[in-house]
Amino acid sequence: MRVLCCLDGTNAEQIGRALEILSAIQPLTVGMLHVIDTGPRKEIDLLRERFLRPPMHPPHPPPPPMHPPHHIPREEEMSEAERASAQEILNEGRRFLASAETLEREGRPELEIVNVAAEWRADLVVVSSRAGYRERREIGPKSVGHVARFVLDHAPCPVLLLRPLAPEQFPIER
Amino acid sequence: MLSFFPLPEFWKALLTSLVALLTLVGIMTRPFRWNEARIAMGGAGVLLLLGLISPVDALFTLVRGWNTFLFFLGMMALSTLAETASLFDWLGVQAARFAGKSAARLFLNVFLLGTVISMLFSNDATALILTPIVYVLVTKLRLPVLPYLFACTFIADSASFLLPVSNPINIIILSRHPLDLLTFLRLLFLPGVVVIGINIGIFFLLYREQLKGSFDVARLSSPDKAVKHKTYFRYTCCVLALVAPAYVAASAAQFPLSPVAIAGAVLLLAGALYWRRTTLLEAGKGVSWSIFGFIAGMFIVVRAVEHTGLTTRFGNLLMHLSGGTSFGAVMVGTAGAALGTNLINNVPMAVVMNSALVSIHNASPAVGHGFIAATIFGCDLGPNLTTVGSLATVLWLLILRHRNVDVSGLDYFKVGVIVTPLMLFAGALTMWLLL
Repeated sequence: MRVLCCLDGTNAEQIGRALEILSAIQPLTVGMLHVIDTGPRKEIDLLRERFLRPPMHPPHPPPPPMHPPHHIPREEEMSEAERASAQEILNEGRRFLASAETLEREGRPELEIVNVAAEWRADLVVVSSRAGYRERREIGPKSVGHVARFVLDHAPCPVLLLRPLAPEQFPIER
Repeated sequence: MLSFFPLPEFWKALLTSLVALLTLVGIMTRPFRWNEARIAMGGAGVLLLLGLISPVDALFTLVRGWNTFLFFLGMMALSTLAETASLFDWLGVQAARFAGKSAARLFLNVFLLGTVISMLFSNDATALILTPIVYVLVTKLRLPVLPYLFACTFIADSASFLLPVSNPINIIILSRHPLDLLTFLRLLFLPGVVVIGINIGIFFLLYREQLKGSFDVARLSSPDKAVKHKTYFRYTCCVLALVAPAYVAASAAQFPLSPVAIAGAVLLLAGALYWRRTTLLEAGKGVSWSIFGFIAGMFIVVRAVEHTGLTTRFGNLLMHLSGGTSFGAVMVGTAGAALGTNLINNVPMAVVMNSALVSIHNASPAVGHGFIAATIFGCDLGPNLTTVGSLATVLWLLILRHRNVDVSGLDYFKVGVIVTPLMLFAGALTMWLLL
C-alpha cells in the first residue's frame, strides 16, 4: 500500500505511531510530503501592492531567463528560512519514517497534498486534523483545520485523519 | 486644447469630473495591471491637454506640495538606509530574545516594535521592512506565521497617527491644515494608544490558541550576528537618536518635517557610502520613485476638481452631515475618510479630503480641529479594513475565490472587518472626548 504522509512540523511522531499500526497489517511504501505554504508570501505581496510597491515574490511560473527578477536580498533570506525550516521538518520526519521517500513542494498545502496524492498514486493519505500549535486538545466542530478539511473533501483516495488523544474531554454530554 | 475653443463653465466642470472619476476608477481597478502612477499622471496629462487646468496652476500645485514630496523621499531613504545598517534585523532578534521563549510574548513584542517603528519611521517601514523580517524570524522559530504577519500589517496603520511623521498621509493633510503639536498629540496620540490597546487585545483573543506555545531560543541568531557592520550600525543609531527629537522639535515649532527627514537621510547616506555599505544606485532602488508620479498626478487632478467647486460641495456636505457639532465632525470625518480610503487608495483620499476641508475653515475651532484630526485618523486607520488596498481588490479576490483560485488576502479582510470598525469607533469617541 502506498501511503502519503503529510508533515506539518508538529505531527511526525504521531504519524510514525500510526504507520507502526498500519505496517503490522500489510507492507507499506511510504512517502512523506512537506509543503512550504506560499500563502503568507502572497499576503506580503498584497500588502506591498497597497503601499504601491512591486511584488517581492517572483510570479509563478517564474519569468523567462531573458528578464531575471529584480534581486531582493530580503526575498532570498525569506526563501532560505523556508527551505531550512522545511529541511528540518523532513529530517524530523526521517526519525519516525526512516525509509520514506521525500516529497517537497511549494504552494497552498491543501492543493499540493491532493495533487501529489494523485500524481504519486497514493492509496492512503495520512493527515493531522490541525497543526499542533494549540495546547488544548480540542474536540468539536472546529477541530478539523482548513487544510485537513480540504483534503477530506478533495482527496483522490481514502484519508486517515489523525486526531490528538483527548480522553479527558469525555464523556460528551448526552 | 479646449482653451482654443472656449467651453461654458458647466461643460468644463463636467469634463473635469469625468476625467477625475475615470482616474479614480482606474486607480481602483488598475486595468491591464497598469501602475497607479501611470494612471494618475495620465489623468493629469489629459486635464492639461484639454486645458481644464492651466500649466501654471498645475506647477503651482506641485510646488505647494514640496513638503509632501520631500517627506516621502526622506522617509523612504531613512528606512532603506536604516535597513542597510541591519537595524530592523537587530531589533527583531532583540524582540525575540526579550520574549523569553514565549510565543505570546513575542507576539506582544512584535506589536510594540511595530508601534515604535511606525511612530518614528512611518507605517511604510513597518509594513514593508519589519513584516518580512518577522516572517523570517517566525519561520526560523517554527511558530505559526499568519498571526505575526497580521500583527505587523495592522500595527503599521494602528500606530500611524502617534506623531505627525508616523504616516506620510499626516504630512499631506497637515501641510494644508496645520495643527500645533499639542493639539495633534491630544487629539491623535491618546486615541492612538486606545486603538493600539484594542488591536492588541482583540488579536490576542483571536489567536489565543496559536500563541500558547513556546520556541527554542537556540534557533535565534545572536543580535551581534544580525549586524553586518558594527560601526555603521552604531552611527545609524546615533543619527536616528538625533532625528527623533528633531522631528518632535520641528513639529512643535510648526517647521516643515521634510528637511529633517532629508537631513537624516543625507547623514545616513554619507555614512553608508563612507563605510561602503551601499552605493547611490543601490540606495536609489530602495526608494519607490513611481510614488512621486502618483502623488503629483493626484495633486493635479484634485486641483482641477477643486476649480469646479465639487470638493467645496463635498466639504459642505460633510459639514451639513456633522450638524455643525464637534461630535458630528469627528464621526463624519472619521467615517468619510475611512470609507473613502477603502474605495480608492488612502493617498488620493487624503488629497481629496484636503481640498474638501478648505470649506470648514469658517467653522468653530472645535469642529475644525475635529474634522482635521478625524480625517487623519480615518485615512490612517481606514486601510486596515481591507488591508489589501481597496474594496475593489477584495471584490476581485472574492470573484477569484468563486472560481476556486487562490484566496490570499481574504484572511486579512476577515480580520480587518472584525477589528477595524471597533477601533475606528473607539478612537473617534476618545478623540471627541478630548476635543
